[in-house]
Amino acid sequence: MNHSDDLQHLADCPSCRERFSENILPFNAARRREGARAFAASAAQIERERENASDIVDRQLRQTPIAEWPGLAESLTLRNNAALEQMSEEIRKCIERKPVEALAIANLAASIAETLPANSYPLAVMAQIRSTALRDRANALRYLGRLDEAYHSIEMAEARLGEFPGLAHDRAIIWLVKAMIQGQMDLFDEAEQMITAASVAFADVNDLPRFFQAGLVYGNLLGRQKRYKDAQRIFGDLLDVATSTGDQETQARLFNNLGHCAIYLDDYARANIHFSESIARFTDLGLRAEVPRTNLGAALVLIGKGRVDSGLARLENARHAFIELGMMGEAGLCALRIIEVLIDRGDTGKARALTTIVIDEFEAAGVDARAVQAVASLQSSIDVDGATGETVRTVHEFVQGLTTDQAQAS
Amino acid sequence: MNAIAAETFDLTIAGLTPVVPRGELHQKIDELDFGQIYEDNLGLLVAIAMRKFQVPEVDAEALAHEVFYSYLKRKSEIRDLHPWLIGAICHASRYFWRQNGRRTEQLDHSWAVLRPDPASAGINDLLPAQLAAREILEALPSRYQEILRLRYYEGYSIREIADYLGVTAKYTQKLVTKCLRRAEQMYNAAPPRKKP
Repeated sequence: MNHSDDLQHLADCPSCRERFSENILPFNAARRREGARAFAASAAQIERERENASDIVDRQLRQTPIAEWPGLAESLTLRNNAALEQMSEEIRKCIERKPVEALAIANLAASIAETLPANSYPLAVMAQIRSTALRDRANALRYLGRLDEAYHSIEMAEARLGEFPGLAHDRAIIWLVKAMIQGQMDLFDEAEQMITAASVAFADVNDLPRFFQAGLVYGNLLGRQKRYKDAQRIFGDLLDVATSTGDQETQARLFNNLGHCAIYLDDYARANIHFSESIARFTDLGLRAEVPRTNLGAALVLIGKGRVDSGLARLENARHAFIELGMMGEAGLCALRIIEVLIDRGDTGKARALTTIVIDEFEAAGVDARAVQAVASLQSSIDVDGATGETVRTVHEFVQGLTTDQAQAS
Repeated sequence: MNAIAAETFDLTIAGLTPVVPRGELHQKIDELDFGQIYEDNLGLLVAIAMRKFQVPEVDAEALAHEVFYSYLKRKSEIRDLHPWLIGAICHASRYFWRQNGRRTEQLDHSWAVLRPDPASAGINDLLPAQLAAREILEALPSRYQEILRLRYYEGYSIREIADYLGVTAKYTQKLVTKCLRRAEQMYNAAPPRKKP
């Protein structure tokens, strides 16, 4: 091994770290000991609170009607870092399926964080606590499409860290959310700058999962601007990193995204190869539900590009895979996509036959009766006035809403 | 890795807290260990801030202190302590300079009116070239832009850029030359700009 002052080498080599640190610090030993003592005491407080909190947030939220959650801000058991960390985790878990609930928790967390006495923790920790709560709130607002409020909240979160250059990792996560908000606001240049800065910071602190996440957000931003070649390059670069680190799941998702890029660039042969690579990895990982989802996503893009036969084949494939996995709700939704294509093509006979099959499948699987009724109405519509693609999309949206509700309930 | 929508080009990427596989995290650390981590690494972090980034000693210590507090909140996500600490102090040092580099004394207004800004000398000749350079810089790929900005706008040395990029100084010098060459090609290919 060649010893050096190179930062990467210092990270790996204890003796070089020691040598590098020598003779630089005319340290005041008492001040240094006091720093260590204060740090250890704060650490102990935070750890103790984490141990004592167990599942306090989950219990309190379950026992309290959602309308009364703002009142929980006065609950002493929730007014600490550990409870706020649990709230952040709850928000993460429910933000996709229940963004309204996520926002209610985020509002509670922000209200607690902003009113904690300033001397509860060291200043830097207080800044982290407050910025995290505001960041979660911004993210929940983003999910609800309340983008101006989301932007305001994320700016406040960033401002809370302004005085603390050392909180680099926290700041980078805020930049990631800010970039996503800016992307949704179509502020593409600002979003790109933000995401680049976040990526550099994640690379600096060796946070590979978030580095990939930032890269994917960047690629998606480029895709939304129809810059598919640039997106392809970003996904390709990320794939090299994911391959070198052996991260199979990220590879699978990147191949999926590369497949989409290839379709948009009219390179269907390459798209097929990418989707196959993605499916192979999802299969190897045992993430079997991701396989038909990949096919479904590809099918929708292919159909959008006018490659209806290829898209239909992938839809059929995805539907059969969902049925094999016993995911009848997803299989039904897939069938509705197929019905939409058939109706657009004027093949109402086949479309009608498929509605009968879906009704039978839904009934046998005990899917929500309202979903069965919706498909039955679609069938009647086909019989009476020849339903349009728009009719099918409305039914699809309704059934999708019900299956989402079902997933939430379980 | 959290959800990335199957239907691509969708910004709804939810999870901001990566799920780190069990067994890769640090073991539970007690109070004594925290104190030890601080004592063992404070010197290194201060040394990096001072030697690699020329941060003054007092500020370097404050930065290191904040990095340790950041660690307290993030420790469950950190797979490898030393690379994280080193990355965090480097980023903190750069951020420190970005913040402090802007703090310049304001020139008294009446004095400013009487005395021309030396930067304005020859502006009629220089401005077109500067504008063209800016346009060309913006047209370069983002990595090229970043490298040239670090070197010529922010004034980092080759060694510092190498540290920042995590590559050797020799390679960084080659990169800078490559970026300049690309910029020059674009400049030569651009139509001539009229003087204002």
